[in-house]
Amino acid sequence: MILNSLAVDATAFTHRTGWAATPEGLCKGDVCIPAPGVDRGDGTLDVKVLQERLRMPLVHDEAHGLYALGPESGGQSLTTARAPELTLPQIDGSEFSLSSLRGCKIVMVAWASW
Amino acid sequence: MALDINPEHARPWITAAAPAHPSLIDTAHITDELFGFMNVPMCVWIDEDGMIVRAAEVASIETYLRRDAPIPDDLPERIKEIMVEVKKLESKPDEYRAAIRDWVEHGCESAYALSPDEVIARSGGRPIEHSTAAAYFELGQHLFHTEGNDAAVPWWREAHRLYPENFTYKRQAWTLVTTPEGAEANDLLQGPNEVYAGNWLDDVRAIGGGDHYYPPLRL
Repeated sequence: MILNSLAVDATAFTHRTGWAATPEGLCKGDVCIPAPGVDRGDGTLDVKVLQERLRMPLVHDEAHGLYALGPESGGQSLTTARAPELTLPQIDGSEFSLSSLRGCKIVMVAWASW
Repeated sequence: MALDINPEHARPWITAAAPAHPSLIDTAHITDELFGFMNVPMCVWIDEDGMIVRAAEVASIETYLRRDAPIPDDLPERIKEIMVEVKKLESKPDEYRAAIRDWVEHGCESAYALSPDEVIARSGGRPIEHSTAAAYFELGQHLFHTEGNDAAVPWWREAHRLYPENFTYKRQAWTLVTTPEGAEANDLLQGPNEVYAGNWLDDVRAIGGGDHYYPPLRL
């Protein structure tokens, strides 16, 4: 997740990672991890707390004033079997959300031109 | 779902296929970290309730074109060496298509539809090196779009170093050097260039050969 500062919008963080700040801590699926101080009280989360509690690597590009927050580490690639919300563009530029196929079986194939 | 940082590189393939199903483009490779893709073609199955019933796995639904053909003697030596490794790639197309059909017919009763615990277990571990590689790769792709390829290269080199088994990170970066206009066909020579130390043949050999290119398929 690309950031310009060490505070991240809570909604955007949840949308991208599936982790939500709740009174129980940072939760995803059935997993909750205590994270005192993560909620900055202004709709943003403290990235340093996220880094420590979820073991998310934080890479800093000083030249461009950017940070990249990686996914949680130390466990399995999937924390939950519930499919993450995913919205991606189609070739005509329109956005498509995976959740619009709810009620259908999905076989999602990753391919590439290369 | 195409893992292509430049959507125009995917366009001719999608146009030629004219799919009736949705065809998405993941220019940031975010599905690598969300689903665990680390090569192509890979696949996840998601049921009607939005639950993943098979985690990311190699999805060989057709036999590789050159897999069963003899290697012509008149090919350049490097291509012949690549073909030796290609012939070792995991490929169970008949079994995989049959498994999909079984799931479509039997749903959660299918032996191929896994429980949530099995899905999580099969998704594989994510050490800090892989998470850091994801951060490096995403920073590189961001800089590719905002600053150009040269700005992305140092970060992508680090992603390759930290997660050498992830060939989406490698092949995406290599191809922006070897075929920056987009590949019109499989670029069998993919990789050898002055920007990156790695290339397909040497990196596949480094992980033990073509039979280690994909995680084993467990149907």
